[in-house]
Amino acid sequence: MPILARLENWKQRGVISPEQQTLLAGLSRGEPVSVFLELNILLYAGVLAFVAGLGWTVSTWSQQLGDVLILSGLSILLAACFWYCFSRAAAWSPAETPSPSLIFDYVLYLGALTWSVELAYFENQLHLLSGKWDLYLLSSAALFFLLAYRFDNRFVLSLALSALAGWFGLTISHWPSHQDAEYRKYGILYSLIVGGAGAILSRLGQKPHLLGTWLNIAANVLFWAVLSGVFNRESYGVWFVALLAACGASLAWGIACREFSFVAYAAVYGYVGVSSIVVRHINGETAVLTYFVVTGVAMLVMLVAIARRFGREA
Amino acid sequence: MKAYSGADEETLRARNLLKDWAGEGFLTEAQYQLMERETVCDLRRTNVFLRAVLFLFTLIIVGAGLALFFTVFLSRPSEQTTGFFLLIFAAASYVAAELAVSQARLYRYGIEESLAVCSVGFLCGGIGSFQTSEYVVAAAGALASLWIWHRFGLVYAFLAAMIFVVWLPGYWTSSHAAQHLIVAGFYAAGLVAVTLTRPRQRSIAEALLWLGIYLAINLRIFSIGPDAHWWGGVKNTTEFSRPFYWSTWVLIWCLPPVVLARGLRKKDRFVMAAGGIAAVVTLFTNKPYLEWPRHTWDPMLLGALLIGIALWVRRWLASGPDGIRRGFTAQRLSGKDKQWLSAGSAALGIASPHAVALNPQSSPEVRFGGGDSAGGGATSDY
Repeated sequence: MPILARLENWKQRGVISPEQQTLLAGLSRGEPVSVFLELNILLYAGVLAFVAGLGWTVSTWSQQLGDVLILSGLSILLAACFWYCFSRAAAWSPAETPSPSLIFDYVLYLGALTWSVELAYFENQLHLLSGKWDLYLLSSAALFFLLAYRFDNRFVLSLALSALAGWFGLTISHWPSHQDAEYRKYGILYSLIVGGAGAILSRLGQKPHLLGTWLNIAANVLFWAVLSGVFNRESYGVWFVALLAACGASLAWGIACREFSFVAYAAVYGYVGVSSIVVRHINGETAVLTYFVVTGVAMLVMLVAIARRFGREA
Repeated sequence: MKAYSGADEETLRARNLLKDWAGEGFLTEAQYQLMERETVCDLRRTNVFLRAVLFLFTLIIVGAGLALFFTVFLSRPSEQTTGFFLLIFAAASYVAAELAVSQARLYRYGIEESLAVCSVGFLCGGIGSFQTSEYVVAAAGALASLWIWHRFGLVYAFLAAMIFVVWLPGYWTSSHAAQHLIVAGFYAAGLVAVTLTRPRQRSIAEALLWLGIYLAINLRIFSIGPDAHWWGGVKNTTEFSRPFYWSTWVLIWCLPPVVLARGLRKKDRFVMAAGGIAAVVTLFTNKPYLEWPRHTWDPMLLGALLIGIALWVRRWLASGPDGIRRGFTAQRLSGKDKQWLSAGSAALGIASPHAVALNPQSSPEVRFGGGDSAGGGATSDY
């Protein structure tokens, strides 16, 4: 039965009101067509292109334009963005807050990216902190976290998490040797801090809808870090156990919260890790291929069972 | 001819719409529950993540199964033998996909999709093993992909068919101009066919074909970006005759407004998006076409233009009665739009700064932080 006939039927039975039926029938016919998503994509692409050009122009013409002109221009743009956001924003609330306007989120994002460009220019030209990028990254991450939670903005929260990851990365870059092991430790530390901070903020009722952004990033970094340990030829046992624990936690969390991206992480990362160990202990092409067929079928059966029980809807 | 009946797909559409409307608050929870119970469909679906993982593991099983068969039963087979068994595997995969739909009632479940994709891959491999002309492989791939699209409604199979078509003219002529024209001609013929037959996924197919025609006639498509030479694009224009070159330049300016206007007239979001993408690509490739130098502020102007257009459109729509003008509105009407934005903003927020905010070593005198200052340790370290 077409949706229009269903709506008429529901209206006649009093399931929906005549006003609802009129509205929903129109929507199902595409009347009106919403271009909300398209406008958001245009704004995002516009901000991205603008900041790309800004960074390119500043770096190319720095000598001709001079520090004063460049820093003044960037500061004016930055101030204008933040003035717009602080003057237009609704009062802060720990719950999800809708943007006051379509462009609001993108002005804030433009401001955050302009801050990054200005900071990078500042340090490269004036060397105030003698090349200690760590401090810039940490301060940027802190600012972006504050802005993200003040204005309820996922773009800026992702920037903050990215800047924080950069801070961990740059700290590692000072280590002269054994970088792989150090990266791994810092990766795990980063993911635990990010995952823990997200969980604590969510538990405290501070923008709990942003938890997914924290956890997705934390989970991916954690899995990459642990997998890099599993790929080691020696002393991979502890990493293998860690991988199994991470997979179990991710699977349980994904099923409990109906966040199926975590089920997918557990399945894919877990399979890659286990297979890498098993395959290096199997001799012969036939045995390896048999392994993949048998374990592939086992994974498929398990995933179908999960899909049928928990993840029915598209 | 279709694997799924029209009634089943209509029911699925109804369920999707109900979910959307409930997410956007047009229905109460109680209304949604009742209406959902009355919109039952026996097709089995799953969410996008499980679908992707099921697709992957089916691919692993089928690929490993095929390799195991060749290892165990055939030692050093001739090409003909290999081709013969690949064709058998293609048929087996296709039959399995059909059974997964007809018996297990799978719908966009990953498993049946993977089997169908494998059948196309094995078919191409099998035909290729018989030392036939290579264009036969591409033609068979295109036809098989079209069939999979028609039968199962998988949009990416249509895209695969379009990609197979790109390989065809290379076997017929060495003239690059003729190759571009043949590909554009194939897509144009496809467009006519799609417009006349009006299949269920007409909208996306039409958008892909418009985009395909545009890309086929844009001779500077690979000059996008500051490091265009990495793409191996057209480095000089002498391989094309001047009339042909400038005709395509005229066309890349004419086509986007035509596609955009058609999308607006039909109120088709996919065709509108194809027109919009083509318009932006035209702005990107115009200077390389004219062989004018690029300026560092060009992306800024483009960004300002895009932002300006978005704001003007929003303001124009908002000034209409109830925020609606000519059947369009800037208001959000679907819960799915919100989900897309949430997921997209989180993912793109991480990805974009590396490429944009602090592009490394753009000039010798100023060296920004190599992308690090907006983050990067998490992705580059492992």
